[in-house]
Amino acid sequence: MEEAKEATDSRSSSVRRGLEILDRVEAGGSWPSHITELKQSGYPLEAYAQGLGDGVSPWFGGSARIPYVYVGFIARRTKDGKHTELHFRVYHPSGQIYRTDDLGKLLDFADNFGLGLVETVGQTGDLVIPVQAEHADRAVDEIRALGTDLGGTGDTFRDTAVCVGPALCEYALFDTLAARDHYFQLPAVYEKLSSQLFPFKIKLKASGCPMDCARAVQRSDFAFVGTWQGAPSVDPEALRVKTEAGEVDPARLAAECPGHAIGWDAASRSLSIDGAKCQKSMNCIRAAFPAIRPGTDRKVAFLVGANAKGRYGPKMAKPVALLDDPAEAGEFMIRLIDYWADRAPHKDRLGDFLVKEGFEHLKVEFKDALTVEESGTPASASRIVTSAVLSDADRDRYAAWAESIAKEYDG
Amino acid sequence: MNAPAQRLKKVVPVPYTRYLPDVVRRNLGHWVDRKQHGAGIMEHISDTGDHLFTVKVGGTPNVRFSTRTLRKFVDIANEHGLHSLRFTRSGSIEIFAGDLASAKRVQQAVEEIGFHVGGWGHTLWSIGSCTAYLTCTTAVIDAPSLTNALYNRLVPYFTGEVELPAKLRVNVGGCPTGCGGLVADIVLTGHYGAVPGYDPEKIRLCLPARADVLDKVVPEVQMVCPVNAIRSFAKPDGSVGIEIIEKKCIGCGRCKDVCDHITWDPAKSGVSVLIGGKSSNTGVGPTMARVLVPWIPARPPDYREAVAVVQKIIDVWRANARPGERVADFIERVGMPAVFDLLGVPASRWNRPTAPDTGFGVRQFVAR
Repeated sequence: MEEAKEATDSRSSSVRRGLEILDRVEAGGSWPSHITELKQSGYPLEAYAQGLGDGVSPWFGGSARIPYVYVGFIARRTKDGKHTELHFRVYHPSGQIYRTDDLGKLLDFADNFGLGLVETVGQTGDLVIPVQAEHADRAVDEIRALGTDLGGTGDTFRDTAVCVGPALCEYALFDTLAARDHYFQLPAVYEKLSSQLFPFKIKLKASGCPMDCARAVQRSDFAFVGTWQGAPSVDPEALRVKTEAGEVDPARLAAECPGHAIGWDAASRSLSIDGAKCQKSMNCIRAAFPAIRPGTDRKVAFLVGANAKGRYGPKMAKPVALLDDPAEAGEFMIRLIDYWADRAPHKDRLGDFLVKEGFEHLKVEFKDALTVEESGTPASASRIVTSAVLSDADRDRYAAWAESIAKEYDG
Repeated sequence: MNAPAQRLKKVVPVPYTRYLPDVVRRNLGHWVDRKQHGAGIMEHISDTGDHLFTVKVGGTPNVRFSTRTLRKFVDIANEHGLHSLRFTRSGSIEIFAGDLASAKRVQQAVEEIGFHVGGWGHTLWSIGSCTAYLTCTTAVIDAPSLTNALYNRLVPYFTGEVELPAKLRVNVGGCPTGCGGLVADIVLTGHYGAVPGYDPEKIRLCLPARADVLDKVVPEVQMVCPVNAIRSFAKPDGSVGIEIIEKKCIGCGRCKDVCDHITWDPAKSGVSVLIGGKSSNTGVGPTMARVLVPWIPARPPDYREAVAVVQKIIDVWRANARPGERVADFIERVGMPAVFDLLGVPASRWNRPTAPDTGFGVRQFVAR
């Protein structure tokens, strides 16, 4: 009895300490704080405070049941059982562009069925809306009436993320937004959006140009990136105008080209680009657009097996093929998913599986689905460890270093 | 309720053209140029003769917004803009306006409600932050409050008041997974700082009930370990026990992903600092950030050491980088050992001074 009372007291003291921390974070400077937003909503601030007071996350896995909906929501409960949390991951339209009347309807939804709080973009790309658990069933119908749905959670084909593409960007080499629409509706993908039959999650991302704003090469099992073959196209007359106006320095373009592909002859004032050396870095194109533009032989690079979260840590994608249209990869992708789903243990991402299994023989096995490029260096970094298991002495050493830096700035 | 078969089907938001404001729909694929006006206003120029202005607003940490605040952005977009806006992948809000004067009125209205406009060109772009203590079960440290403290210090780099050598992206993740991804110039990742432990009572919820199945079943919490640092064994009472082998453990947290009852000592937890990640094919191409410092304290509310270390990295980069050189390109040119020297970081087996690997992405299709 006495013990239980003590436990209650210590809990409330960590909440009190946490609430003080939250007030100090919120008042810490001029950047708008998430804590102000939480306070204006129905979010259980005490749970967050308890986490900060204790120095550990307050949340455990919870449970919720929505009839015939298996994917797209996540339930949490606090360790002491005082608070629960349920949130929907909701598909944005491709490009996350909204007319304000459409957005207003989603905000009404977040008020009527939720806590008056949203996370505008989660890491997968969804709009995250905490909802009231007792109205979750009706909320599903409501969100569908708005023309969208709960996105992906768990071991399923997640929401697909693409850069803004032709909607706002002059560099887009293919329609990334249409590519997302295509794969959403492809029957073999569509059926995977609602089930959790896979070893781990599956992500697809597409970027319209090599600058890869969607971070496809690093964060998706299936990556599509706009590119071209050979050299960029140069309009000599337009380049001359830009050069004479002082907007472009061709000598600097040549010096800074990552592939050393640009030649600049100052005497004849002529610029040449060696297509074989061009790394598609966009360096000259960004500096001199539209006098220098991506080459006319446009392609979509298709790569597989990247992830942030996976058994062997974060890893980069492996190159597969240069496509004319992202839809060409569909059959290869589905066969690879099936192959992986039949063989990989739980919590092996596709990339982890390919590390163990090897990839070259799969390219051969699936060659009737896709003609695979022979060129390229199939480099892949793996075993990137972000953490460390340190002794007390190690931590003291790094703490002392950090303290010396902190003193430099804050005395 | 709908019939089950119908309810199992997802409603996907297609075609995307249905959602677009008129100005975007009629200029799809017609954009030919852009012009930046300050750090937060971009003019998009179309061959149809249209000019669209987007005003980039920095989001709150973990982009948590109350509907009350979002309605203020809706009002601003309706009053001064083109009744439309976009949420970026990194958590900024871009409000669409029809001309430069309107865009400036949008900026003023946004600043009046306490938000900052910026984050384009050679500035700090929006900081990516996971949810951590707001909803996540595996979070070791709280990313949003750390992000808040960083933003408070780094505001002048976001607004363009202080110019940087190139684009700067910072990601903050609460656990070793680093949900923001290692795609930022500077990445902070929470971790245990030591070998994790487990709740001696509740760990049985993550293990088979009886040891006599161990010759047929590997407990998931053991199976997911990438370095075989978890061993399971039969206890004398016939139940299953586990051992986490400190010498093998890399602290990656895969076990915590599948079992809530893996624990750690908050007094030993902290953040690792990684540098040199980016997604773009510019310069050295896409890279994953490498560990600069394996552990520093992460103490709310000020996160004094973590904020100072980020500031220090930025200052060293500003002082030594060439114009347009992102952190990864700077490392490639001067070498990682030189960067360690400039910062005075002690190296160990957890932070060897090796530069990020390069040559990924579309450049893998260029024959060498």
